[in-house]
Amino acid sequence: MPERTVTIASRTGLHARPAKLFVQAAQAQGVPVRIRVGDGRPALATSMLAVLALGAVQGTEVTLTADDGPGAEAALDSLAALLARDLDAEEASGA
Amino acid sequence: MPETAPLPLDPRAVRLDASAADRDDAIAQCGRVLVEIGAVEPSYVEAMLARERSISTYVGEEVAIPHGTLAAKDVVRHDAICVLRFPGGVDWGGERVTVCVGIAARGDGHVRLLSELAQILMDPDSARALREADEVSEVLSLLQPTQEDQ
Repeated sequence: MPERTVTIASRTGLHARPAKLFVQAAQAQGVPVRIRVGDGRPALATSMLAVLALGAVQGTEVTLTADDGPGAEAALDSLAALLARDLDAEEASGA
Repeated sequence: MPETAPLPLDPRAVRLDASAADRDDAIAQCGRVLVEIGAVEPSYVEAMLARERSISTYVGEEVAIPHGTLAAKDVVRHDAICVLRFPGGVDWGGERVTVCVGIAARGDGHVRLLSELAQILMDPDSARALREADEVSEVLSLLQPTQEDQ
């Protein structure tokens, strides 16, 4: 099963705004993606509540997984890249 | 999962029968309740509206979680949430919202608050109970189960 492990870069963690951007990006992928913290239970990356419940802070390592298939690798690359960015900094500079 | 602790919900910050003209009105009401209980300075309300314009705080289950921008953390005096119910519903960018959980948190407190709240709302029975509670005490026990057990 393809997977990517990435460290949350947003300074306030994977909370409301970064979480929303991540969930929206996950929903735009053609394949279902799951996210987990450590050995925790995988959550649907398209569920805002499930992603918030992870409680991931800046520096938390999360693992993204998808079933084998067309588009899976690209989807994981794209979502991992998003989490590796400080989405809060983009708000501060873009506001 | 992160460690759990009771959500900082003051009974005075629960409104079971609010009504709002629109989304901004609902957010402003949440902000005013947070001001009334001394959790935030009045300028936090504008920061909540600014955050919502940046991105919707709708999370599912007819629940939205309005809160301020990162820059507004300085005007938070202590971590707190408020619960305002809008039985008539509020149009939230196309979604129907009947429960607003306003959030104020210092430092990294918001991550734990949001995680706690999300874990409760992920249980459809709890989410429904929150939407339908008749008493403030029911809302408190739903959101502060550990405190209730002690």
